[in-house]
Amino acid sequence: MDFTLSAEQVLLRDSVARFAASRPATNGARPDYWQTFAELGWLAVGAPEEAGGFGGPTETLLLMEQCGRGLVPSPYVSQVVFAGAVLREAGRTDLHEALAEGKRRFAIAYEEPHARYDPSRVETQADGDTRGWTLRGTKARVLDASTADTYIVSARTGNGIALFLVPASSAQLDRTAYPSEDGYDVADVRFDGVRLDGDALLVRAGDGLEALEAGIDAATAALCAEALGLCAVMLETTVEYLKMRQQFGVPLSSFQALQHRMAEMYIELELMRSMAYFAAKTLEDETDPFARKRGISAAKAQIAKSGRFIGQQAIQLHGAIGMSEEYKIGHYFKRMTFVERLLGDRDYHLRRYVELTYTATREAVATAW
Amino acid sequence: MNLTFSPEERAFRAEVREFIATHLPDDVRRKMQAGDHLEKDDYYRWHRILFDRGWIAPNWPKQYGGTGWDPIRRHIFSEELSYGWAPRLLPFGLSMVAPVIINFGNDEQRTRFLPRILSGDDFWCQGYSEPGSGSDLASLSTKADRKGDSYVINGTKTWITAAQWADWIFVLARTSPVEKKQQEGISFILVDMRTPGVTVREITTIDGGHEINEVHLENVEVPVTNRVGDEGGGWTYAKFLLEHERTGTAGIAACRQMLTQLTELREREDIEDRRFDERIAEVDIELTALAFTELRVLAAESAGTRPGPESSILKLKGTEIQQALTELALDAGGPYEDTALARHYFNLRKATIYAGSNEIQKNIIAKQILKV
Repeated sequence: MDFTLSAEQVLLRDSVARFAASRPATNGARPDYWQTFAELGWLAVGAPEEAGGFGGPTETLLLMEQCGRGLVPSPYVSQVVFAGAVLREAGRTDLHEALAEGKRRFAIAYEEPHARYDPSRVETQADGDTRGWTLRGTKARVLDASTADTYIVSARTGNGIALFLVPASSAQLDRTAYPSEDGYDVADVRFDGVRLDGDALLVRAGDGLEALEAGIDAATAALCAEALGLCAVMLETTVEYLKMRQQFGVPLSSFQALQHRMAEMYIELELMRSMAYFAAKTLEDETDPFARKRGISAAKAQIAKSGRFIGQQAIQLHGAIGMSEEYKIGHYFKRMTFVERLLGDRDYHLRRYVELTYTATREAVATAW
Repeated sequence: MNLTFSPEERAFRAEVREFIATHLPDDVRRKMQAGDHLEKDDYYRWHRILFDRGWIAPNWPKQYGGTGWDPIRRHIFSEELSYGWAPRLLPFGLSMVAPVIINFGNDEQRTRFLPRILSGDDFWCQGYSEPGSGSDLASLSTKADRKGDSYVINGTKTWITAAQWADWIFVLARTSPVEKKQQEGISFILVDMRTPGVTVREITTIDGGHEINEVHLENVEVPVTNRVGDEGGGWTYAKFLLEHERTGTAGIAACRQMLTQLTELREREDIEDRRFDERIAEVDIELTALAFTELRVLAAESAGTRPGPESSILKLKGTEIQQALTELALDAGGPYEDTALARHYFNLRKATIYAGSNEIQKNIIAKQILKV
């Protein structure tokens, strides 16, 4: 049992922290950092060694925690962590290497309208014929859709859910981007009879859901780490502000009601920190998907709860200045609000955890989740 | 970073588990499982078994009879005690007064008191709170007046667990009147319960149990050599003791046992209610988060940091979770179904009050960690 970081890990963490500090902490319009990340080697974090990668869930945690601290709106979670984990499950070292080098960019199109985070609720159809496949359906809330060259799309064939590689430039593909309050790149993508070659099949029918779930869990752990960074800054900023702000002739921080609220925020932050590490450890240790899903859902459920509390209290304790778009706390709050819900909110993960723990048999759960 | 237990640590866990399974008296285990109150003899018998094995004082230095285990092994040992339904030994001698005597006492005191704490021959209790001094402990008014080579002690101590069984009590008393700060002028004094003028009055708690007492000290004369450390330095030793006390009160493994019993109860009562399951899951998940927090504190301790204000989180969340679990069990059983469930629920309301109420813990976090 040893929580100390290696020299390489410290180096990685510090270099991300320096990068994050070098840019404004805002969720307004953002440049695309892809090439910078590629040059710094960060796209290779978590990729297999054969694909030129290094590190694993702990390195991803360190990187994402610092991205959270610096409010860096990047496609890292979707295009590196999520896509990387799916490519690893698919055994596509060639594509993973291209990703790690920054040559290819994948976005995952899995969630459907009204599916409420559930990746098994797939209505998109892939009809096979002798020359390939025809894809029909709509995917909602595709993260970092506009910068991807390829979509990884879940679709039903006659034999279950499969994953397909779909060029973003395909004819019969329609992308509708929508505004996001946290500055992220999100779109609905519609496939209206997109023609695909036979080699577009990334994960065959029946195995698609498991590969997808592995990606969702890896990306969820990364979001947990980002949330930790966001909330750490929100607490620090709130404590500093209350020490400085004078009312009734004394600093606000001298009032016990406010001291206790900050203490409660601190406790929630430490529980978050534990669960972000727990999520990384779960990914590292658990070869059994059943245990992995259960661990990740526990982490996300806790982080969603603690993150909501810290965010809402940070705004409340700042008073009116917290409502001002000019001031940074609101930007952190907004990002946390979406991180809390992305890839499954607290209710979703609690339900998943309950299913995996108390109610279903292992076999029943394997097909349901 | 390596967050797993080593093969040696896992082997150690297996050894402890085996020992508890084969040596804990069956009647004690049954009482623990049923949530019944234990008698002094139950504690004593288990104490002697661990003493004979050399495992009675994991947190003492080896030279005084400690085990020489690192924090991780101590953690494993304490977890296994809970998993094996062994009683948590009364902490007042082993975990409270002994570390104070070891750190701040003199050699004569170490020789005189430590072996009898180790062997279980002396039971101890803690004379801190008073009728007028609870959370504001330093406002205490029990006086110890110097008379030649003795102190004459007068005052009342209250909420004292196990005083009815104790041979000795450690008392915080004022050896000089308050001048500037009320924390000054307090001394840490050891009192033989058989000294004339010591009387114990039983207090029945809302669960019907008899755990706590009031202890009256009326012209109790004790030798000055029973004072630990400097005259007037007692507050420092008192705080040192409280930090040790808090690390032990998270009770995470015990919570896991309660959680297992709760899921068994859920089965027996045939509860099919998603809302109820989610409430259990919420507590279960928070317990995981706290267990991992405890590992982080332990790892810091292994690296040489002594338990600091972070132990407040363990006390605070650990006791909240204990209470939530008794609440869920009572919800599962319903009213009047099983009096043990209600008694346990009533009894554990104490957890967020003792060892510095949870509101006091929030003060500590705000002042010592957030520095407001």
